[in-house]
Amino acid sequence: MTALSVRRGGPGSEVPGPRRRLPGVRLLGLVVALVALAVLLVLSVMVGSTAIAPSVVWDALVRSGSGIDWFAVRDYRLPRTVVGLVVGVALGLSGALIQALTRNPLADPGLLGVHAGASFAVTVAVGLFGVREVHGYLWFAFAGALVVTLMVLALGSTRQGSSPVFMVLAGLCVGAVLGGARDALQLTDPAAFDMLRTWSAGSTAGRPLEVVWPVLPFFAVALVLAVAVSGSLNAMALGDETAVAQGVRLLRTRVLAILALTLLAGGATAIAGPIAFVGLMVPHVARWIVGPHQRWIFVYSAVLGPALLLASDILGRVVIRPGEIPVGVVTAFVGAPVLILLARRRKASGL
Amino acid sequence: MTLLARRGAALAAALMSTALVLTACGGGTAQEPAAPAAATRTVQAGNGAVVVPAAPQRVATIGNTTLPFIDLGGKPIAVTAESDSDVARLPAEQQATYSSATILASSADEVDMEQLAGLKPDLILVQVPESEFESLKAQLTAIAPTVYYSLDAEWKELADGVADAGNVTGALSEQKAEFEQLRTALQQKYRTIIDGTTFVDVTRYSSSDPGTFAIADIGCSEIARDEVGLNLPQAAEGADPLAWTALPFEQIGELSKYDVITYPVDAVGKPTEPFVPVVETNTWKALPEVTSGNAVGVFCPGNNSYGSVIRYLESLDGALATLPARG
Repeated sequence: MTALSVRRGGPGSEVPGPRRRLPGVRLLGLVVALVALAVLLVLSVMVGSTAIAPSVVWDALVRSGSGIDWFAVRDYRLPRTVVGLVVGVALGLSGALIQALTRNPLADPGLLGVHAGASFAVTVAVGLFGVREVHGYLWFAFAGALVVTLMVLALGSTRQGSSPVFMVLAGLCVGAVLGGARDALQLTDPAAFDMLRTWSAGSTAGRPLEVVWPVLPFFAVALVLAVAVSGSLNAMALGDETAVAQGVRLLRTRVLAILALTLLAGGATAIAGPIAFVGLMVPHVARWIVGPHQRWIFVYSAVLGPALLLASDILGRVVIRPGEIPVGVVTAFVGAPVLILLARRRKASGL
Repeated sequence: MTLLARRGAALAAALMSTALVLTACGGGTAQEPAAPAAATRTVQAGNGAVVVPAAPQRVATIGNTTLPFIDLGGKPIAVTAESDSDVARLPAEQQATYSSATILASSADEVDMEQLAGLKPDLILVQVPESEFESLKAQLTAIAPTVYYSLDAEWKELADGVADAGNVTGALSEQKAEFEQLRTALQQKYRTIIDGTTFVDVTRYSSSDPGTFAIADIGCSEIARDEVGLNLPQAAEGADPLAWTALPFEQIGELSKYDVITYPVDAVGKPTEPFVPVVETNTWKALPEVTSGNAVGVFCPGNNSYGSVIRYLESLDGALATLPARG
């Protein structure tokens, strides 16, 4: 037994955790979540640092033409909204994957070294290669996240096939080493330090769509992988032995799940920097709504992730107007109270 | 007066007389000239009255004193590092002076005191935050006379202090005269523009977040406002400088409420590297100031010494001269 948390459900329980949800309730909840996401998408285009009339926003979206307000909508608000949507989906889904994989409700996509790898690679890019623009360090971040997670996967798979415990330990160790190396590099290079100070906060601002398109194919692959392993992860929630008895190939499932979550979290980090808390909180909320059914958790996480990110981003744009607070700072302020509230009301977050 | 007191007074008088006689004898003989090290002056600084060599030969500069001292023709033997971009903006001969000095560290708090002591400076000039100086004060003063200027000292005061302590007041006088002449000429030449035009100075730093810029109200912008009289925005009394607020690119459109925009360019007139993303935006290109020729680049080589300010004013002169005639 390699689960990191104590599972609920006594002998004879069909599934661990709280009472099961009816499919109709899940579907209704999903529709509500989708409507909320749609509202937030509209708000994200409507609300910004400057006051632009809704009619002008609409014209800018549907008609061709030029003008300062039109450019503000097309060049800043629209790309930012798309980035928030894409990054939110990736973070939410990667959080659901890591929590299902480790059977740990406290697991975060950064647990396997994704953030540490991306941060170290960006520090190297900025400090050693003088990269200054988002386009430049996008691939460094992505490559750093991928390489480090694959390293963690290799280290965590050396004993008894693979184990979530070993993988998490390997992730923590590699993350600690890279964190030290990153700090050392930043101390010797103030320019890298300045750059990383802002990148580390995590932001969707100033990211043109050109940095999103190259990452989308990776997200598409990850999405397919996530759907493919969701059934196996459902079975693995009951324990490795039970899953094996049901014909689940543990190693293959774990490798595919890790690959998927790395592509998702690595791509999201490459675009927006390390945004914490979305991947931790969103699967919790999803599990509270749908119960321990991985496919539904994945779908809900993919909807609630961007909803949380967009809501936080909109808030960050208006609270200290005309300045802004990076979304990575706001997500915790928005998400933490909700998570605490849910944790006090329900016991649905256990795995 | 008691007997004891009378005896004490007599003894003191005797000692003073003896000292006076010895001093008179010494002055009369004048056999040995005073050693050069003994020639000192006292200067007033942020850390009080400091006795410094009359003509210091081995000056170390720490913090913001390096560039003002070099600008005045000083040749420091040791310095704390300046940013590559700041050094690149110096005239060639000043870059050579900077390169010939020993780089002690990237900042004052990282200076290796043994290395500094080994270089045997006869004067140390320092401008760093006061709390930082307090932690270094004892070590620095043990090495050489240390003259400190707080960050509250504005650039003219700093130039005066550095010139006085570093014995380069001759160069300072020349620079001051040139500065005053240039400033007066600018005010007279552009009186109409200065009186009837609203300006805004924008900037972007190498460390700025992607998609952000700032309205500059410190640095060279301060020179243009306070010395030339340009109508430039500034923060409310007691508030943080406007330049500290990172504005999203969406705010570029708000610049259209000013008559003229000034933005940072390098020595050859191209937008500085950090500012390039701003001029590449569609919003910038659509600004009425940009389309009408009222957005002008100004080179800011520095703002804490007369030499660099003179070069800034020359650039400002060239920029203002390109503005379309204003009614």
